Amino acid sequence: MSKGAKGTKVIDGLYYTKEHEWAKVQGDMVIVGITDYAQNALHEITFVEIKEPGTDVTAGEECGLVESMKASSDVFSPVSGQIAEVNTALDDAPEIVNQDPYGKGWMCKIKCSNPKQDLKKLMDSKAYSAFIVSK
Amino acid sequence: MVISLSEKLDRTHLYEWHKSHGDVVPFAGWEMPVRYTDIREEHMAVREAVGIFDTTHMSRFFVSGPQVVDFLQTLTTNNVAKLGLNEGHYATCLNEKGGIHDDLMIYRIGEMEFIWITNASNGPKIKSHLIANAKRFKVVVEDRSKDVVMIAVQGPNALELLSKMAGLDARALPRFSCNSVKLAGHDCYLCRTGYTGEEGGEVLLLNTPFNDAGKKKAIAFWEEILKQGKDFGVKPCGLGARDSTRLEAGLVLYGHELDENTTPLEARISYAVKFKVAPHYIGYDALSKQKEAGVTKTRIGLVMVDKGIPREQYPVLINGEKIGMVTSGGMSPVLDCGIAMAYVKPESAKEGDTVEIDIKGRVRKAKVTGWPFYDPQKYGENRAR
Repeated sequence: MSKGAKGTKVIDGLYYTKEHEWAKVQGDMVIVGITDYAQNALHEITFVEIKEPGTDVTAGEECGLVESMKASSDVFSPVSGQIAEVNTALDDAPEIVNQDPYGKGWMCKIKCSNPKQDLKKLMDSKAYSAFIVSK
Repeated sequence: MVISLSEKLDRTHLYEWHKSHGDVVPFAGWEMPVRYTDIREEHMAVREAVGIFDTTHMSRFFVSGPQVVDFLQTLTTNNVAKLGLNEGHYATCLNEKGGIHDDLMIYRIGEMEFIWITNASNGPKIKSHLIANAKRFKVVVEDRSKDVVMIAVQGPNALELLSKMAGLDARALPRFSCNSVKLAGHDCYLCRTGYTGEEGGEVLLLNTPFNDAGKKKAIAFWEEILKQGKDFGVKPCGLGARDSTRLEAGLVLYGHELDENTTPLEARISYAVKFKVAPHYIGYDALSKQKEAGVTKTRIGLVMVDKGIPREQYPVLINGEKIGMVTSGGMSPVLDCGIAMAYVKPESAKEGDTVEIDIKGRVRKAKVTGWPFYDPQKYGENRAR
């Protein structure tokens, strides 16, 4: 991948997908966003749209999209469950995802019936770091 | 996110510079810079100051010989016989059915000598087409793509920058003219053309072979433009800004708005097409027939009313019924919303109508418009100065 890809941040304690989403457990909720690697590859994010709260989502399936100046990309849900909340701050300021992908740039919270089972299939920070370096 | 890469790719003379200053990606068989800083920033430099683009990946054919005019009349849809010395025009090259084989620029640089500039993605196809047809005429076709570097200088300050470098008044050169000039001491053609909607030029840096010396010369030339353009607010621009500026100007791109199954009448680029020409070009009969019978699809512009960014292949609907498809779409930095070009059934939607775009299952409203998408009083080559 492009410039800076290997210098991007990976945070300990989060779970990662091969499609570059991260997931963080918070009680019975899983917070979802895209990684620093992903925001760096997409660059200039112009629009984020996650499915509405109340929508059922399945692990590994599309749950929204991210538009950048370059292209349109799907966001895949790391877990199965129901979308409880989406980050409405991104409606008017999608560039927050570029600035703070693991913090203010979170995309949605998913109420998850069995998070452990889904998260087990994801990578930890060490495995994800190795994964992006290998690309 | 799905992020994919690539096969064996070609490079321009400026590759090393792009690699060390920008973000290089695969495009139409080439490794090209998509951006150096931000696409939006580069886009606005073109709209408000001046941007430069490496367009060396395009193909350049020099065509000459006693029958060159008839040869070009046979292959292209504009009237080459009408071009005076140092004049150029936009044209299309058709297949027998009137579908577009390519769109191109032609410049007359001698009594019997022309330059044909073609899309990067169509280079090999057009080369074969030229060579195959050249057998019937007394002409010579030379592929000079590898020893001529091409740089587009675009924006409201572009002509001032080019004037300074060439030591002449570039603003006095007619649009579409092709002028033999010296830039930074090198022999060039300065063409008063572009692909951004803005004023400016496309520079052909001659005698620049694809070897170490040629690459060094090309990079030094590129850096000289940046140096001399500093006071004019120049920025190097990648393919991202090239695509967003051409889209915002409503300019067609081969593989999107144009292809073998689309005619120039459907694409609404009839200024590239003449009917009173001799000899008739390939595709003339089919196109004349369509002119009489009418088109079966037509190109329109779309501006999003709802949120969302239209992209290629998204369906265009009216009251839930499909009337066509988006061929290019993206974010307009000037309008700060999604814009697109689409093909729809003729008469199905007229300017000012509201239609829907199916954005991956989400149906969103858009308004039918003409182009350019920006206010031509404020931006573009016809802006109020």
